[in-house]
Amino acid sequence: MQLDKHADYIAAYGSKKDDYEYTLSEYLRMSGIYWGLTVMDLMGQLPRMNRQEIIDFIKACQHECGGLSASIGHDPHLLYTLSAVQILCLYDNVDALDVDKVVEYIKGLQQENGSFAGDKWGEIDTRFSFCAVATLALLGKMDSINVDKAVEFVLSCMNFDGGFGCRPGSESHAGQIYCCSGFLSLTGQLHQVNADLLGWWLCERQLPSGGLNGRPEKLPDVCYSWWVLASLKIIGRIHWIDKAKLRSFILACQDEETGGFADRPGDMVDPFHTLFGIAGLSLLGDEQIKPVNPVLCMPEDVLQRRDLQPDLLS
Amino acid sequence: MAESEEEVDVLVQRVVKDITNAFKKNPNIDEIGVIPCPEARYNRSPIVLVENKLGVESWCVKFLLPYVHNKLLLHRQRKHWLDREALADITCTLLLLNPDFTTAWNVRKELLQCGALSPEKDLYLGKLALTKFPKSPETWIHRRWVLQQILRQFSAAGRGRKHQHQQPDAERSQRPSEHLARTLHQEMKVCSDAACRYPSNYNAWSHRIWVLQHMANGNVKVFHDELSSMRFWVSMHVSDHSGFHYRQFLLKELITEISQTPASTTTTSSPQHQCSTVPSSSPPPHPDHDQANGELSGAEAAGEEEKQLGPTTVLQLFHQEVELCSDLIQSFPGHETLWSHRRHVYYLWHHWRGEHQQHCGSNGGGEPDRLNNGDPGLLKACAPSPASEGGAAGESVNGQRHVGDAMEVDGASLPNPRDSKRLKRGVLPPSTPALPAEHSFVSGILDSCSNPEQRRFALAYRKWLDTVIGHQP
Repeated sequence: MQLDKHADYIAAYGSKKDDYEYTLSEYLRMSGIYWGLTVMDLMGQLPRMNRQEIIDFIKACQHECGGLSASIGHDPHLLYTLSAVQILCLYDNVDALDVDKVVEYIKGLQQENGSFAGDKWGEIDTRFSFCAVATLALLGKMDSINVDKAVEFVLSCMNFDGGFGCRPGSESHAGQIYCCSGFLSLTGQLHQVNADLLGWWLCERQLPSGGLNGRPEKLPDVCYSWWVLASLKIIGRIHWIDKAKLRSFILACQDEETGGFADRPGDMVDPFHTLFGIAGLSLLGDEQIKPVNPVLCMPEDVLQRRDLQPDLLS
Repeated sequence: MAESEEEVDVLVQRVVKDITNAFKKNPNIDEIGVIPCPEARYNRSPIVLVENKLGVESWCVKFLLPYVHNKLLLHRQRKHWLDREALADITCTLLLLNPDFTTAWNVRKELLQCGALSPEKDLYLGKLALTKFPKSPETWIHRRWVLQQILRQFSAAGRGRKHQHQQPDAERSQRPSEHLARTLHQEMKVCSDAACRYPSNYNAWSHRIWVLQHMANGNVKVFHDELSSMRFWVSMHVSDHSGFHYRQFLLKELITEISQTPASTTTTSSPQHQCSTVPSSSPPPHPDHDQANGELSGAEAAGEEEKQLGPTTVLQLFHQEVELCSDLIQSFPGHETLWSHRRHVYYLWHHWRGEHQQHCGSNGGGEPDRLNNGDPGLLKACAPSPASEGGAAGESVNGQRHVGDAMEVDGASLPNPRDSKRLKRGVLPPSTPALPAEHSFVSGILDSCSNPEQRRFALAYRKWLDTVIGHQP
């Protein structure tokens, strides 16, 4: 494994990007920064990044309503509000934000049925339930929303196979399962999960190559190695996966020349898959990487600083 | 070919205009794409319109996108004024190149709200974007918002109609529901096209489900038609897990609707349904059908069909689905999706049977007459019973509690005294998926098939039957 190469890749990312590519992904820039910084921190290389520039950027992304946007001039959204708070936790500088306003923003997005809209335009998705409680948990403000109702909605998205979809009646999907498992962990409701049933669905994601997919008959993808693996860890069934095979799949997704990880062996690398490759390896027990928290995908030591230890099933 | 800032400015403004004019010239553009073309030639526009296809030459995209992108953001930060028309044109160009740019869709939402854009325009723009970016999450998200605006318009129109002074005009009262039916149809088509363009397209299929939940809620005919029309598609896409999940959704909704109260209609009887539910999924109803009843005629027809629907129909639905699944499993060995589908269908069946025993029991004398017209095996299986299966009333299949339901009518001796009464009722027709039938299906596959993947899935299914269905808590 080539940790130094990966760190170099991330450190240089953005400075070499040409205008077009960078512009294309600006709509998620805050999450992009979170991916880059988190993986650097997991590799012990966070100091190589430009702390002040990033904190100033985040400040410029907080809107009047309290929510944060992906980049300057873009519209605010729960997704980027979470990413911003996660970044500030890495930098131990949460008060760079108007925290009360953030809480108000999130509170205002909760619907009558307990679900959360992603922004003022009203799209409902269990991902947003996770974003809401994760952000509030990091800020220590979970009591500002109706947690019981929020739980009720997420549980209504549980399917017969033990998995979760984006809305009630939707297909089970590893990404949504991660969000819902994380949500139930943060709200102390993991006992509501059928761990054996869900664990089985999750471990059926492992393919002969050792990689994990997100749904039946989909291709393996390093990011699912995170969504699936972290979910298994949360519900206490990580031992149901062939760890050695998964590790070798993840390692095969590295690009030894450029550094970074791709979705599958041979493809182009990007920061997103680099984070989830490294985080996956950490969950599998790689000692060269800092321990990662499976619920929030952040270094455990950062969460200890925030005094946050989300439940895990055993 | 170095461009100064002014040159880029001029070029881009021209390109945006060319795109706008292309749409004006041809309102039937149905596909967009980038034409690989590394260099500009002879001062010609990079916008190419051939028949109904709109292309952008690749050389200009790297100038075009950052320029219009930044222009829009400057406007959003109040640093640069753009009038409504310019905003519409710029966001259109942007979203055809990068439809996940959420803020650009939001700008259009605001234009829609103040009447500068029509909802149909955005449905059209989204449809085009999906031809090139069939997964684009933000495009689907924006689409749902637009549809909600349209639905709100219909509800408002519906309420307004009640206060009309003149006699309800048959034509006028049928127009909203026709429009709604057309919109519903169009959404099904957009979803279908996107599903064809990208395998197991989660976003397209979950949108399709959303549309039915919001525009055809409780409409048995629509669900039924969708189930029929999807048979061929899934047979041609046996790896498409989302496509099969859609069938599971349809089945479950149908079963729920049919099983609720077989003797009454459940579609458009309530006022709020009148405007938000289409009477039929087929093209707008023939005029002669809709004389005085306007939007209710379709519903009445559906209602009439419904009165005859009941447990027999549910059995038929299961039978057909299991048959389809078995055919596909045998024709296309080694597809996890098909086995996953079988689990879902079996689970629905298992759960429905549990509820249905109770339902039969509570309906005493009324039921048997109707059931006599149906499958004799069903009658035997559902003779009135004083006992009822605990805990299953009105429950959805969500939640793990039902996993532990006791087995029924499978010949095994069971400790529960109620179950011996069920054993006396006799055997269900062979086509219905009772547990032993499922086990022999698995054995049949294992005996006849050497495909290692198929064997693996067959064994996994057997294990699932034993563990999840057969499990006693």
